[in-house]
Amino acid sequence: MTAFRLSGVSFSYGKGPVLKNVSLEAAAGEMVALLGPNGAGKTTLTRLLVALLHPDAGTVSIGSETTDGKSPEDLADRVGYVFQHPDQQLFARTVLEEVAFGPRQRGVGATEAHDLAMDALVHLGMHTARESHPYDIPLAQRKLVTIAAAVAQRPRVLVLDEPAQGLDRETTDRVSALIREMAGEGVAVLAVSHDLAFVAETFDRVLVLTNGEVVADDCARNLIMNPVRATDLGLRQPDAARISSALDLPGAPFRMHDVSQALAGRLHPGGLQ
Amino acid sequence: MSVEFTAVTFRYPGSADPALSNVSIALGERGSITVLTGALGAGCSTLLLVAAGLAPHVTGGDLQGAVRTLGENGTTKDGRASLAGRVGTLLATPWTQLSGMSFTVWEEIAFGPANLGWTRDRIDGAVDRALATFDIARLAERDPQTLSGGELQLVMFAAVAAMEPVLLLLDEPVQELDPRRSDQVYAEVLPTLAEQAGIVIATTNVDRAVDVADRVLVLDNGRILADGDPAPILGGSTMVAGGRSTTAARIARDAGFSEPYPLTVDALIQRVVS
Repeated sequence: MTAFRLSGVSFSYGKGPVLKNVSLEAAAGEMVALLGPNGAGKTTLTRLLVALLHPDAGTVSIGSETTDGKSPEDLADRVGYVFQHPDQQLFARTVLEEVAFGPRQRGVGATEAHDLAMDALVHLGMHTARESHPYDIPLAQRKLVTIAAAVAQRPRVLVLDEPAQGLDRETTDRVSALIREMAGEGVAVLAVSHDLAFVAETFDRVLVLTNGEVVADDCARNLIMNPVRATDLGLRQPDAARISSALDLPGAPFRMHDVSQALAGRLHPGGLQ
Repeated sequence: MSVEFTAVTFRYPGSADPALSNVSIALGERGSITVLTGALGAGCSTLLLVAAGLAPHVTGGDLQGAVRTLGENGTTKDGRASLAGRVGTLLATPWTQLSGMSFTVWEEIAFGPANLGWTRDRIDGAVDRALATFDIARLAERDPQTLSGGELQLVMFAAVAAMEPVLLLLDEPVQELDPRRSDQVYAEVLPTLAEQAGIVIATTNVDRAVDVADRVLVLDNGRILADGDPAPILGGSTMVAGGRSTTAARIARDAGFSEPYPLTVDALIQRVVS
């Protein structure tokens, strides 16, 4: 089942095209990472998906419906959106209120909205800050609040602009786990990221956007374990993959855990004591 | 040293727990690059804000202890005035640093130098140098409001550097940049800037920062957990276990290497091959 689709989409802010005839689609439960150089049009593409922008040509569809004539509010029960900068979307007086706002707007009762919000906050380790004012917590944690808010809406499509930006390793792992869990429940996830290490750990499919065009659409392994192609696309091979390639580890692993295991096998053929 | 903290404790308004607890430290020597790291909420950004004279002046809150930045007291109006242009601060929220008064990137970068009362010739030279250092001449005529997140971060970094500060306080300076751009910042821009300035970088991701760091300072819950040469500190099991070290170090630990763990991919490969 197609969760979202762009067909022949072009877009311009006025001076020159930002997106040129972009077509792509993702199925329910699919996790897609969107990479590309600064200014490639990644954020613009995500804004089209949530109807903050509308295409000059082509169509954007969520499920079977196009975003034509729709506003973000019309799509709020189906598409969760996390802005690149959390300050673009935070407004409530407490973290819990912020996260419960989406479900409440959808008509969910207070108790259930509270539970949905708490569940999302617990996943991200943010429940202890639930009574804090969103602007009293550090920037990176504000970003986690916006991710929780999008998740609490129980959308069919989750669009995240740089979800791992500024996060430490432990928190990044929490975000990865949450994304996988959402996908496991049938949510299609699209995330913009510059962090190929985060992408490698989490996503199956990688799209590369350059100058407004999709120049690669492949499984993560094919891009990450081909350093020449990765460099051509302006990507940096993640450190785990570089180690794997340089040492020619068996099975060509590229995720951190798999690389560690293969490396341990190389160092201690009889197993770790 | 450019920044000297003596028994500094800082609390944000309405917060019972201090963001910095009894921190005494000297850092920011000209020509040096110090990397400040820790888990989320450890106090790295706060340390930069206090050093810059922005906390508590802009943030509010309560500061105890003594802070001297370039010999000035940033908690006084005169102290802050004297620091203008000498301390360059890049916030993790570069969009909040836009002047809002420039129609082009060129003007945005000129805004700081112009407010320092420089001559037109000096401003022209400083802006052109900043555009060249950051390799963003092609953005010069763009409206700052239309830049992408990464482009804006580079422009604001250039705008800070154009004032030719002798101390640069950088909060996650590459977090919005693509890999090519962040490599460029670490390999070219920071070493160039370090010729004239002391640099302090706060970041949760030390994978690339260890390549340029002369010194690493690890904060935990507002306190200094470790301070010194990056290799022994970040190569120790405590930092690796706490997720505060590099990807290479984590892989080395998980693969059963002995301490100190190699911090970079090259160092790890060297250990395996030799």
